[in-house]
Amino acid sequence: MIISGPFQNSDPRLRIVGIVIGFGLLVLLAALWNVQVLHATHYGNRDQAQSLRRIRIPSARGDIVDRNGVVLANNRRSFDIVMYLEQLNHPSKRQDVLRMVSETLVAINEALGTTITLSDRDVRIHYEQRRPLPMTVMRDVSTNTVAAFVERVNELPGADLIVTPIRQYPYGSLAAHLLGYVGTPKGSPDDTEQELERFYYYQPDIVGKQGVEHVCDDFLRGAPGGKTIRVGPRGSTAGVVGEKPAICGNRVVLTLDVRIQRIVEETLKKVSLPAGKELRGAAVVLDPRTGEVLAMASRPSFDPNIFNPGGPAQAVNAMLNDKERSPMLNRAIGARYAPGSTFKTVTLLAGLNAGVITPHDTVVCHGELRIGNWPRPFGCWNKHGHGALDMMGAMRQSCEVWFYQRGMAVGVDRITKMAMELGLGQPTGIDLGSDLAGLVPTPEWKRQHIGEGWRDGDTAQLATGQSFLLVTPLQMASVAATFANGGAVLQPFVVKRIESPTGETLHETQPTTRRQLSVSPQEIELVRQTMAAAVQAVDGTGHRAAVKGLNIAGKTGTAEADTPHGRIKQAWFIGFAPYYQPQVAMAVLIEDAESGGHTAAPVAAEIMAGIFDKNAEAPVGDSGLYAD
Amino acid sequence: MKRYFNLLKHMDWWLLATMVALMVVSVCFIYSASYRGLGQPMPHYYQMQMVWFGVGLVVYVMVALVDYRSVCQWAPVWYTMAIGTLVLVLVKGTKVYGARRWLGWGSFGIQPSEIAKLAVIVAVSYYLFHRPPEARRQWRTVAAVLALAGAPLALIVVQPDLGSAMVLVPICMALMFAAGVRVKHLAVVLAIGLALAPLGWMQLRDYQKARLTVFLSPNKDPLGAGWNLNQSLIAVGSGGVTGKGYLQGTQNLLGYLPRTVAPNDFLFSVIAEETGFVGGACVVGLYGVLFLRGLRIAAEARDRLGLLLATGVVAMLFFHVFINIGMTIGLMPVKGLPLPLLSHGGSFVLATMAALGLVQSVWIHRRVY
Repeated sequence: MIISGPFQNSDPRLRIVGIVIGFGLLVLLAALWNVQVLHATHYGNRDQAQSLRRIRIPSARGDIVDRNGVVLANNRRSFDIVMYLEQLNHPSKRQDVLRMVSETLVAINEALGTTITLSDRDVRIHYEQRRPLPMTVMRDVSTNTVAAFVERVNELPGADLIVTPIRQYPYGSLAAHLLGYVGTPKGSPDDTEQELERFYYYQPDIVGKQGVEHVCDDFLRGAPGGKTIRVGPRGSTAGVVGEKPAICGNRVVLTLDVRIQRIVEETLKKVSLPAGKELRGAAVVLDPRTGEVLAMASRPSFDPNIFNPGGPAQAVNAMLNDKERSPMLNRAIGARYAPGSTFKTVTLLAGLNAGVITPHDTVVCHGELRIGNWPRPFGCWNKHGHGALDMMGAMRQSCEVWFYQRGMAVGVDRITKMAMELGLGQPTGIDLGSDLAGLVPTPEWKRQHIGEGWRDGDTAQLATGQSFLLVTPLQMASVAATFANGGAVLQPFVVKRIESPTGETLHETQPTTRRQLSVSPQEIELVRQTMAAAVQAVDGTGHRAAVKGLNIAGKTGTAEADTPHGRIKQAWFIGFAPYYQPQVAMAVLIEDAESGGHTAAPVAAEIMAGIFDKNAEAPVGDSGLYAD
Repeated sequence: MKRYFNLLKHMDWWLLATMVALMVVSVCFIYSASYRGLGQPMPHYYQMQMVWFGVGLVVYVMVALVDYRSVCQWAPVWYTMAIGTLVLVLVKGTKVYGARRWLGWGSFGIQPSEIAKLAVIVAVSYYLFHRPPEARRQWRTVAAVLALAGAPLALIVVQPDLGSAMVLVPICMALMFAAGVRVKHLAVVLAIGLALAPLGWMQLRDYQKARLTVFLSPNKDPLGAGWNLNQSLIAVGSGGVTGKGYLQGTQNLLGYLPRTVAPNDFLFSVIAEETGFVGGACVVGLYGVLFLRGLRIAAEARDRLGLLLATGVVAMLFFHVFINIGMTIGLMPVKGLPLPLLSHGGSFVLATMAALGLVQSVWIHRRVY
């Protein structure tokens, strides 16, 4: 009735006009249906695509604590002065952004008395690619600067103060090599490729670059959060659509004991080397009952705090590229040395086990020994000769000649077999990512790599820890631990437990015995006794390692090594304490030192004294073992 | 006075109701189109529109009460006035976006092209009404109508305002068709017009050419000339069946739909985005009621003059609606033709309401009370 009028009318032309108009409106309706119903998803997606932006919010990294909960790595709040480019009065052209940024920057510099500059390129990139995100002007400013800024903030449009987490290591360089450090990720690992697509503004996590920070990175990192914002056609934020907070990373509890670690590092720091040389070396302290690493130190060291993003780039590069000192190298697991006389413990055990060596084997030492048609005689460290020595005497005095002779009797096969059983020549598998395997040379190895046959002289050198033998300080600490616990080769580890932010235990490392030595308890006990004698006896080479009131057993070593700077001596001490029911086993290595007895043994004494809270001044003449 | 009330009682309530409904929609969505979020300053477009509607209603009632026949007796005067203002605007008009379309007194401005549309409807209807039926079938009549419409058309094209000028074409065609001009003659006129189109293309300004080429491939320049078309399509399409909700249209709210055009030329995009197909179809439906009601009035008019007036007005409004909605959903090139009774803008609101008042007058005065 309402609209049927024209169609009832007799005027046919008016009817046609009505039909044309009706048809036109139907065309509009059909087109509207096509756009709004049939293609609604298509246009809806385009609407979302052009106005929704996902921002990735990095999570706070988990703490690393020692076995007693002492914090070794956590996050502190860094106050950063930032600029929000989108708040700078809607610049219409890029040039205007640069001008407004530099105006604001001048105002900030005036207010704070600073001299910050930003490159036009950085500002432009930030404006074009990361506009809704704050642009950092100054990182980690002092509290005075914060106060000055807060006072003037109203005069500085677009500038703001934000708090960001910064990784901090409260003890500085303490256990730096073990903890590692963090930095911004280089390149993008596989999993971030996907993430990059999911997030329009990708703010990366900091990642662990070495040590526990690197190995436990996945646990420490936590889960990133996200924020979805709506932006207008200029790219400025119009509102927050959704937000998911980042989940804090997990807490890593180490086996490390900060007290022992400090003792070890301070002792190493105090060692005075001739001619003012900088100490290079490492020390490892293990719990011989479990394989837990109680302390691991390497020198020279570094301060992991400088590696934070925005840290002093020059100092960082100098540190990373210092080929001469290699401060970043963890010498406890990442450097190989000849073990020297500390290896005699292994030779001795192999001989006792084979029945080739008995405690009463006597050899007369004249200071040197000619072997086969070797051009030079093989020397003993005591050029005057030790005279007649039995097994105990030979270990106490660390006589080379005795071990040349008896070692050749034991034979290369038995010695290398025992060395490998003790875990030498293969990585310990410590949970620090990678440790070196070292090298236990065999006749076959020599043929392949040197191209010569194995000679008796090689066996003699191997028996005294020279030849081609290479070990890491951690491996030798593990050997000491095996002697300490009576024959169990343990798996050393540093991560005791991983806890979620709510305190739930996600992972707990169980002590693992890699293998039990195929030797009798009596044979091990004999080696232990010789080690005790080497420290406790007045004439023991390791007597400088003795501590009053503490039964320490150990073995010194002085290995010779050829370096580009000439032939140097590397000082070793391996040992454990107390003699009965040992609680610690350790290895100390000092590059380019005088000798194991003179350089490494006193270090060991001080560490042991510190650990057991004794007076380190070892009174000469005290012979612990025989009084025992 | 009593006589006037008596006349008002006899007006077409359907026409009035549809008109008022569109006016309510207009105010609501001009508000939405200029809404910037909570706490943001609110432009006064919707209040201005209410003022225009108020003035427009007065004009509407006045025109409706006057007998359309006496209005048409003054047709030569209206026509001369329209031509006069069109010449005046070319000489003294205010330049907006490179075109002289406005005559302004202080903050008050009118677009003479809107007056011209009405004047052409009245003048051509009056002329055709006074030609004997057999004369309407002659070429002379067609030529006279083309001359009558051609003068203001040329003046509007020169402004330049191609969109408004083109409105005169369907008005004239519809009036001649309804008046009984031979279809053959109309077809020849259309054919000549199309043949001259390439000539016209060469006369177009660059921005006009850009609009037309962008319509053919909107993605050619998505950030330049294609922006409005693309964003309007996204706005309408993302509205879906039921829309995003009142004041929730993100395309409009965030400014992807440019804020300068959302309340006027692209108001339908805002409506379609926020109320979806349901709302958009309702608006099209309201126009449908308005137009067919207008044609019914034409059919029931007491004389051919009334029939022609009502048909001319309906043709004008339909052309506006078709071009505007077609533009927002990608059927038509982007043309600055506002939506009758919906788009923000004083001159066109007044012109539309005066035109509808004229239609109402045809209805009221179809009998003698």
